[in-house]
Amino acid sequence: MTMRRLLHAALAVAAVSTGMATAVPAQARDLMVVGFGGGFQDNARKHLFQGYAKAAGVAVQDDVYNGEMARIAAQVKAHDVTWDVVMVEAPELVRGCEDGTFEKLDWTVINRAKFVPGGTITCGAGAVGWGVSLFYDQKRIAHGPTTYAELWDTAKFPGKRSFRFTPKTTLEIALMADGVPFHDVYKILATKAGQDRAFAALDRIKGDIVWWRSGAQPLQFVASGEVAYAVGFTGRTARAASEGAAYPLLWQTLLYSFDFWAVVKGSPNTAEAMKLIQYMTEPAPLLALAQDWAVSPATKAVADDPAVRARNPGMVSNHVEDGLSIDTEFWVEHGDDLEKRFAAWAAR
Amino acid sequence: MMPAVLVVVLALVVPLLVSAATAVRDPELRAALPRTAALLRAWDGHGLPEEATFAALAGELRAAEAEQALGALSRRLNFERSGMRGLLLRAARAELVAPYSMALPALDPRWGAPATWALLRRAALGVTPLYLLRAVDLDIAADGAVVMQPAEEAVFGRLFLRSLVIALQVTLLALLVAYPAAYAIARLSPGWARLATVLVLVPFWVSILVRTTAWFILLQREGPLNAALLALGVTDHPLQLIFTRFAVLVAMVHVLLPFAILPMVGVMKRIDPRLARAAASLGATRWQHFRRVYLPLSLPGVGAGGLIVFMLAIGFYITPALVGGNTDQMVSAFIADYTTTTLNWGMAGALALLLLAMTAAVVALALLLVPRLRPRGIGAPP
Repeated sequence: MTMRRLLHAALAVAAVSTGMATAVPAQARDLMVVGFGGGFQDNARKHLFQGYAKAAGVAVQDDVYNGEMARIAAQVKAHDVTWDVVMVEAPELVRGCEDGTFEKLDWTVINRAKFVPGGTITCGAGAVGWGVSLFYDQKRIAHGPTTYAELWDTAKFPGKRSFRFTPKTTLEIALMADGVPFHDVYKILATKAGQDRAFAALDRIKGDIVWWRSGAQPLQFVASGEVAYAVGFTGRTARAASEGAAYPLLWQTLLYSFDFWAVVKGSPNTAEAMKLIQYMTEPAPLLALAQDWAVSPATKAVADDPAVRARNPGMVSNHVEDGLSIDTEFWVEHGDDLEKRFAAWAAR
Repeated sequence: MMPAVLVVVLALVVPLLVSAATAVRDPELRAALPRTAALLRAWDGHGLPEEATFAALAGELRAAEAEQALGALSRRLNFERSGMRGLLLRAARAELVAPYSMALPALDPRWGAPATWALLRRAALGVTPLYLLRAVDLDIAADGAVVMQPAEEAVFGRLFLRSLVIALQVTLLALLVAYPAAYAIARLSPGWARLATVLVLVPFWVSILVRTTAWFILLQREGPLNAALLALGVTDHPLQLIFTRFAVLVAMVHVLLPFAILPMVGVMKRIDPRLARAAASLGATRWQHFRRVYLPLSLPGVGAGGLIVFMLAIGFYITPALVGGNTDQMVSAFIADYTTTTLNWGMAGALALLLLAMTAAVVALALLLVPRLRPRGIGAPP
């Protein structure tokens, strides 16, 4: 018990000294939604968050994070939960659900039948599909690589390459660059030999790799000419292209998955949070959102709507045939081990 | 006096004890499976435990899974041995019937292996050396012996050495740049000295992130520095300046320079200017005066500035992460990663503790050496 109190005291000191603490008592604050930022969140703010605020007559705020689970776990552990609804990637959601970092969703409030198959799990309701794909600036490089195998050809395509600083997606890309077809990637990556092969492939271009951590970075790197090629979020690449950048969307290099809405365990606004998730996954607000942003929701009625799909060529769900579906189960099972090896490899 | 003690206790002693405790604490198995933990501690650790332990484990795993309380434990055990996570979850979700000492090994042969139970028993003790061992690239083998980590996972020895080298490089460079600057400021008239001090301090008030980003812009491929070098004909193609050790050193020296300059100015201002005339009257050249009078008298300032710069530099991670390459990342980057992404606070605590010990050792060494560098016979500065 003393240890626990000591820990709480230290966390409080740390929170105050880093200015992270919110002095407002939990029940007095607005409903807080936290996502990955970018164009999606700018549009979701208007159609989903403030849409719900208007409909339900409650104030809704939103904030941005980079998927750091510790920021959520620390709130749960300290019994000072300041985020209510968070957008989470699938493997982290599954692990966080087992951890008790997220609440089990109330399927009497949220209509579970409206989602695409696999669009819900115990602690999460499918929000939007997302993907990463290769892009480069055609104003600088007229004909760049079109596959990952070509991206590994540093003689033909010199310059830095930028990938997200995480084994998830990077190891899959390395295997595909090494000639592994889509459907064999996870079978091979599950073996020690396959992991060795992926790291060996990364070793070949290691000197040319620049890592990115937040979704805005690959665009900045490519725009400033600092890196020649980057694998970045398709939504952001599409937006930059629509604003005049000459970035091709190479759908054959797509890796995609779903993000989920989840409720932080111990949130003082649990009931309101469930209602917000039900609202944000309804067809009407999502259709309104789809007018402004090429969203790929996990809500069946919108995901399958031919008009929406035709109007939004950048929808990830339009290109699932071309890309690799990121295997949630694989990353739940192997995530810890591969993260450890990846971190050790990257630091060498 | 009391408030000062309180600040030291709250801001230094408590966090220090907490991170030290985090590095060796092992609470997960006790918290998730209390009865199993008690039985495991009572067990002698030879062969396989009794049926009661198997039954307690099966029952408590199931209950913990239903209450979403298995995550921390499965992560802890998986950290020690790959595959433990899946092993636990399958057992928690399986429909098992007594006797469990038959049912569990039937589900997965690893439940019939003494090594699995030895691992669980170690995890039930409440304290573990595992995090500290991993932080120095050692590991606990299946039989409990301490062994070396495989080469592909051994990383921390290299990282600690690299952090030390970068911190020493930064300290040396910062002192070399700061000494003439401090000398100049100390000799200015009071009004100009004040202005110069403000100029030193202004960047000090700008966020470290902003200053580092500024260096990114200056040093990038199509940045002003490369443009200037190309225009001057020094090079015919843009140099790779960013994502290199060079960029890390430049940005870190810039960020830390005020910490080197200010203590030096303080000490240099108190050096009596009459000593220069006294030295000259005794026939010393300017170089001899500097070498035998001024430099020894200013060394305490150099020592203080150097220590502060070194201690701050060794904990850096934002600057290397933003402008450095893959081989420029320091230990603190891993501490941050374990704290915020992988949620492994044991490893974060162990690395922080070792980093602190390494810093303390270097500082202690420097403090032992500095008094010997102090001038003798000329009199210490007032």
